[in-house]
Amino acid sequence: MRLKQLLKLIFTNITQNKVRTFLTTLGVIVGTATIFLVVAIGQGGEAQVNEQYSKLNVGTIIVMPAQRGRVADPLTKKDAELFLASANIAQAFPLLRGNGTINYNNYSASATFMAVEPEFQTSNNLTAELGRNIEEEDENKKNRVAMVGAELANTLTDGNASEIVGQNISISGRRFEVIGIYNRVGDSGSGQSYDDAAFVPYSVGEKYLLGTRANPTINVQATGLDTVQAAIADIQSSLDENHRAGGADQFRIMDAGSRLAAAQESARSMSMLLLAVAVVVLIVSGIGIMNVMFVTVKERTKEIGTLKAIGAKKQEILNQFLIEAVIISLVGGIIGVIVGFITVPILRYFELAAIASVSGVLLGLTFSVVTGVFFGFYPAWKAADLSPLEALRYE
Amino acid sequence: MVEPKKCVIDASNLVKIYQNGSEELKVLDDVSIKVYDGDFMAVLGPSGSGKSTLMNILGCLDIPTTGEYYLDGLNVLTATENELAEIRNRKIGFIFQKFNLLPRLTALQNVMLPLLYRGMDEGEAEALARGKLTLLGLGERLGHRPNELSGGQQQRVAIARAIVGNPELLLADEPTGNLDSKSSEDAMRIFQELNEQGNTIVIITHDVEVADQVKKLVYIRDGKLYENN
Ligand SMILES: Nc1ncnc2c1ncn2[C@@H]1O[C@H](COP(=O)(O)OP(=O)(O)O)[C@@H](O)[C@H]1O
Ligand SMILES: [Mg+2]
Repeated sequence: MRLKQLLKLIFTNITQNKVRTFLTTLGVIVGTATIFLVVAIGQGGEAQVNEQYSKLNVGTIIVMPAQRGRVADPLTKKDAELFLASANIAQAFPLLRGNGTINYNNYSASATFMAVEPEFQTSNNLTAELGRNIEEEDENKKNRVAMVGAELANTLTDGNASEIVGQNISISGRRFEVIGIYNRVGDSGSGQSYDDAAFVPYSVGEKYLLGTRANPTINVQATGLDTVQAAIADIQSSLDENHRAGGADQFRIMDAGSRLAAAQESARSMSMLLLAVAVVVLIVSGIGIMNVMFVTVKERTKEIGTLKAIGAKKQEILNQFLIEAVIISLVGGIIGVIVGFITVPILRYFELAAIASVSGVLLGLTFSVVTGVFFGFYPAWKAADLSPLEALRYE
Repeated sequence: MVEPKKCVIDASNLVKIYQNGSEELKVLDDVSIKVYDGDFMAVLGPSGSGKSTLMNILGCLDIPTTGEYYLDGLNVLTATENELAEIRNRKIGFIFQKFNLLPRLTALQNVMLPLLYRGMDEGEAEALARGKLTLLGLGERLGHRPNELSGGQQQRVAIARAIVGNPELLLADEPTGNLDSKSSEDAMRIFQELNEQGNTIVIITHDVEVADQVKKLVYIRDGKLYENN
């Protein structure tokens, strides 16, 4: 049979069999849209991770105690100074973190406070929006001054943030003079924001707020991306030398690059999990398609018997049913992709990161055409193998 | 001197055995049959006697367990699958008891189909199909689908489909079995006319009235063929 006639015959079969065509197409639409959306959500998640970490300098290395709580042999400011001896390290400063109640007039908030060296501000893009930064002099003279994050300032003043500059606040019952308010920096990448915290000079925090409980982490900046590994090695040998008890083993050394990689990895494994779910959905809808096919398989097998009786060759019958299955799956696949594209903004409205992508389109179409064709074509493929009589007599 | 007639069907010693578990069922028992060009033959027998089995073998829809079969001089039993498809398409017009029209195609499309499988151009196929349907009184029903036609009309569409390609042989398995008496008469008259125009026809039936209207009658009982009752 000529191709044009074959296509006409297929078209007639598709359009004259509306219920079957509709149900089959529906299965393919559901499968494709699912895969497409799963890819969109996966890529959205990865993009979110990348965005969070884009604020993080990948040359940053964080050294912290391996265990939480009190430590026998904590890091000290001296460690940071010793790290600086390494040629691979540009910057190293200790950092203390605690939680406490912060009071101003009648307002109080429970917040994170940090004891930081002046370099901390520059390396985290924190600058005084009002007032002035913490300076070297505050550190050396142990001035009892504090900076507050933009959000915390608002909370303590009920919206009149500027009035707090020059006033006294208390952190965990100790008085500090507020010297300024930082600019807004948003999420720092570790899930909490500097905008909600208060900051005091390192030496002050060590002395008045944490005392013997002081258990700092040290932020290290490698001279470049390529020296991160060498810097880590230098840190390890310095720790081995100066912390006799357990050496470097009692500390955790993390570089931002591997944290990013780890986060990306977990986002990716989430994607794979979602993809597995999608494949299950697709198989289920494929079985749906096959059921629809099997309902009509008796009718169609008899039809194949008739076609053979009037002289159709096996190959011609296979072509007919294959092209039919491809058309139905492709149309269903394309509609499924369109449904996916329409759903992405809806997901975003519900704050689920989702990104429509070419790979989502390709994966969705591939999977659905493959399952659509497999499940749609399989019964015909079986039937075409029967003798004309067997097909005609099929019950 | 009269030229000897061409032998369209030359089948000898056909045996068909169905294996039912360990039980063997011999449905055709050493059947030999010759049909000549221009014959109008009926095979008469009760239900279950093996009529359809014989017909399906003659129509190349089925193969015998043993025996020999030449159709228009061709050895059917050594033909490949594609050659058989070609034989069914060009040499045989098969008419089923239940018509076996394709439900989603119009009368015209149904009749065109064997020609299209031959690779014929659509316009030519449509002209031929239209001609045959008009000849059989269905000129007004070309665009109707089978479920919009009466049993008699469906059978005429099936006959049109069988003859449209000018086959050597028309085979009809109980063509009147699903028809009322009026439509049966019409169908038989059509077969008679087709035979008068030179078509070779073999009809299978259990209806004695139908058998009365043919030129040559053979009998089948329990898988054996008899010249006389
Ligand atoms: N595929 C088959 N398997 C087993 N037995 C069959 C099969 N087809 C037909 N038969 C048996 O062969 C016998 C003849 O069948 P058939 O040729 O259809 O008879 P008729 O057409 O004369 O009524 C019946 O007894 C029937 O049950
Ligand atoms: Mg029968």
